[in-house]
Amino acid sequence: MEKKITLSVKDLRKVIGRREIIKGLTFDLREGEVFGFLGPNGAGKTTTIRMLVGLIKPTSGSIHICGYNIAEDFQKALRNLGCIVENPELYPYLSGYNNLLHFSRMINGVGEERIKEVTKLVGLADRIDDKVKTYSLGMRQRLGIAQALLGNPKVLILDEPTNGLDPAGIREMRNFIRFLAEKEGLSVLVSSHLLSEIQLLCDRVAIITKGTIIRTDSVEKLLSNRERMEWRLEPYLKGKEVLSSLTKIEEKEDGMIWTEFNEEKIPHWNKQLVEAGISVMEMNRKMPVLEDLFLELTGGETIE
Amino acid sequence: MNKLIQNEMMKLIAKKRLVVIALIIGVLVILFTYAQYKEIQTQRERLGTDDWRTAVQQNIVDITNRLSSSRISEEWKKQLKISLQQQQYYLDHDINPAEPGASTFMRIFLENAIDMLIPLMVMVIASDLVSSEYSQGTVKLLLTRPVKRWKVLLSKYITLCFAVSLIVAIAGFLSYILSGVVFGYKGFGTPILTGFNISDEALNTANVKLLSLWKFLLMDFGLVWFVAIVVGTLSFMLSVLIRSTAAGMGVMLAALISGAILSNMVSSWESAKYLFMVNLRLTDYMKGTAPPIEGMNLSFSMSVLLVWWAAALLVSFIVFTKRDVY
Amino acid sequence: MNRNMVRMVTAIAVFFCLLWIFGLGWAVKNYYAGKPDQVPQKTNVTSKIDNKKGLNVVALGDSLTRGTGDETGKGYVGDLVDEIKEKTKKPVQLTNLGIIGQRSDQLKKQIQQKEVGRQLEKADVILVTIGGNDLFRGGQGLMDFQSKNIAVIEKKYLSNLKFIFEQIRRNNHKANVFFVGLYNPFIELDHGKEMSKVVRRWNYDSAEVSAAFPKIIFVPTFDLFELKVNDYLYSDKFHPNTKGYKLIAERVASLLTW
Repeated sequence: MEKKITLSVKDLRKVIGRREIIKGLTFDLREGEVFGFLGPNGAGKTTTIRMLVGLIKPTSGSIHICGYNIAEDFQKALRNLGCIVENPELYPYLSGYNNLLHFSRMINGVGEERIKEVTKLVGLADRIDDKVKTYSLGMRQRLGIAQALLGNPKVLILDEPTNGLDPAGIREMRNFIRFLAEKEGLSVLVSSHLLSEIQLLCDRVAIITKGTIIRTDSVEKLLSNRERMEWRLEPYLKGKEVLSSLTKIEEKEDGMIWTEFNEEKIPHWNKQLVEAGISVMEMNRKMPVLEDLFLELTGGETIE
Repeated sequence: MNKLIQNEMMKLIAKKRLVVIALIIGVLVILFTYAQYKEIQTQRERLGTDDWRTAVQQNIVDITNRLSSSRISEEWKKQLKISLQQQQYYLDHDINPAEPGASTFMRIFLENAIDMLIPLMVMVIASDLVSSEYSQGTVKLLLTRPVKRWKVLLSKYITLCFAVSLIVAIAGFLSYILSGVVFGYKGFGTPILTGFNISDEALNTANVKLLSLWKFLLMDFGLVWFVAIVVGTLSFMLSVLIRSTAAGMGVMLAALISGAILSNMVSSWESAKYLFMVNLRLTDYMKGTAPPIEGMNLSFSMSVLLVWWAAALLVSFIVFTKRDVY
Repeated sequence: MNRNMVRMVTAIAVFFCLLWIFGLGWAVKNYYAGKPDQVPQKTNVTSKIDNKKGLNVVALGDSLTRGTGDETGKGYVGDLVDEIKEKTKKPVQLTNLGIIGQRSDQLKKQIQQKEVGRQLEKADVILVTIGGNDLFRGGQGLMDFQSKNIAVIEKKYLSNLKFIFEQIRRNNHKANVFFVGLYNPFIELDHGKEMSKVVRRWNYDSAEVSAAFPKIIFVPTFDLFELKVNDYLYSDKFHPNTKGYKLIAERVASLLTW
């Protein structure tokens, strides 16, 4: 069964001065999915996100959140949206609780019960009465998420959610986002310029560069046929010789040899190697990296 | 709306700006009180008496003598003449123009604070009400709520009006309470004259009214408040237009200072009277001193200020609701 | 931060906001109200003189009373007061009502002011210099000192002077009044001699008027400036300089009695 569409963007354009920054984006978000927005810095991710949350008016095109057009039904549309744009900049001179109180007052029907709920959900219960200026970056990020969740949104938009976090924090954030999507059924749109992050976090991904989406697909589909097999052979030279007679190989600096990943042929290659008296010390299935994919799709444009 | 105003008030109080403003005003009031006290003392020494009539008479003679000097400008001469006639009027009617006491100090303080000190204090709040949201980045959170932008701005503006009211009240209270320590807490019932009209060189006393000081003070407060609101609205607009608090404050400060300077030299540049900053001394109309430019009166100044106010408000709302936030 | 505090501050702010709006409305209404509801009345009751401490000196007159030309700014009045202070060891209250350029008709007006009358009333010593501007008219007197004009001017002056003295005596019949006579600042110029004649005549007539009143003493200064007049004149060659004022003060001081 096809899941409900929560965010729908059609032919979104933004012209600033004479320059077209965003050149017609179209994509949908479905319930319970994490959608990745991937592109190098300056590709138009932030501008797009700011248009989605109503900070920037699109030159043309439409944005619907849960069926409400953001240009016409701003309040109803935004009622279903939670977001953090760039860093979660909260009021440093207010306590965490007062920050949440502040934002809850701007959403109809959100009371103090809900504030307590989201505080517990992001695990800030014991520090919520301290001033935000005493918080660490990770705590601010969590408080940011808490404010985004206040109104029980259907769509959550996170701009670079792991920016500036330490590895533990990144893992924590990733788990939390997955939890929100899978258990709470939220649609989450995550933007990032880090490939690894999108790869680990998202169900689907849109690759954006220079204001256009060059590819939208599920992560699996994008990655299939691009998997590699990694071999460690002993002795190396002889092993290389045998393997290269069977298929195309790539030599890596760390003494590994990469071939394509082909489920049907691999047992055969293995057998050949063993028969030739070569010990296969390691065989690893290598997931591809979006870096390669990106290079492939954009034809050599590099990203950070 | 109510909740939005609560939010803004919460932020205003948490920022503790009002406390800082109260401190500044308090320190200044103490300074002025001491200066006034010293002044009274030297005057007493010079005249050898506390008798206000002697002091006023002496003042009249002094002004007359200054008038005979050829070195003073025509403009200044006119001002002096009016002040002279006024003093004489007070003396003839046996009314002390500056009955000693905290309430008179409060009146003088207000009259002198209206075009500089109070606007400055208002600026401290108004100029970062919006721009601080930009510089902190919180504007992105504020404007992504299901609330129309104009409502967000209106809540901020109403909060500004509240803050202005509080600042004017703080100025009043502090000037009364602190100066009363020295001058005594009295004088609200003393009579004061208002309604002097200035026509050409002469003082028209046909409409002069006798008022209790407390009534006069309440009117003064109203005028001070009005000026503070207009100045506040202008720096509010700058706060919307210029996202840097410091730049907004700089522009406003320059305008205020230029107003103070211009008032002393624009008598021959007539169209300068449409500038808001030469129209700030509204309390002078109550007291009856000559305006900086011929033909200015209370309704003229108030209309000029109102036009500036409306324009600033309009610009603020249009820009704030239409502008893209990057 | 307490939420009640926010509510309280807001409530106070609303209260003051309304109060100030009311004040503003009232101010505008009051400013344009046609008929004043309470017209201030001129009071004719002279308020009581406050308890006197020490001596009261009231000085009336023109630039000489003001001390124009004296670098110390005191004038003969200031010098005299200093001397009195030193001699009597009593505090002296000086009220200097001298106005630069004042003529006798102007002094006549000034002296009728209620407050001036009150000042005179409490005076122990009254000092007067007047007439210099009537006669010399800022140097114009030089040109037409011979004309009939002078006679007309003098006549008017004398009647004014009489009025002034009457007024002083009406307010205060006890105090000694010292009326300082004129000197001739132009004595060394052309026609200085003729001018001196006019001044002497003027002084004589003034002294006559003074003599008609009790305790009004005419103090001559003509002789003080007769020799080496330029040593005692200010750079405008009209007003005395510091030394000149000293001379006048000394002369008046010698006449004071207690």
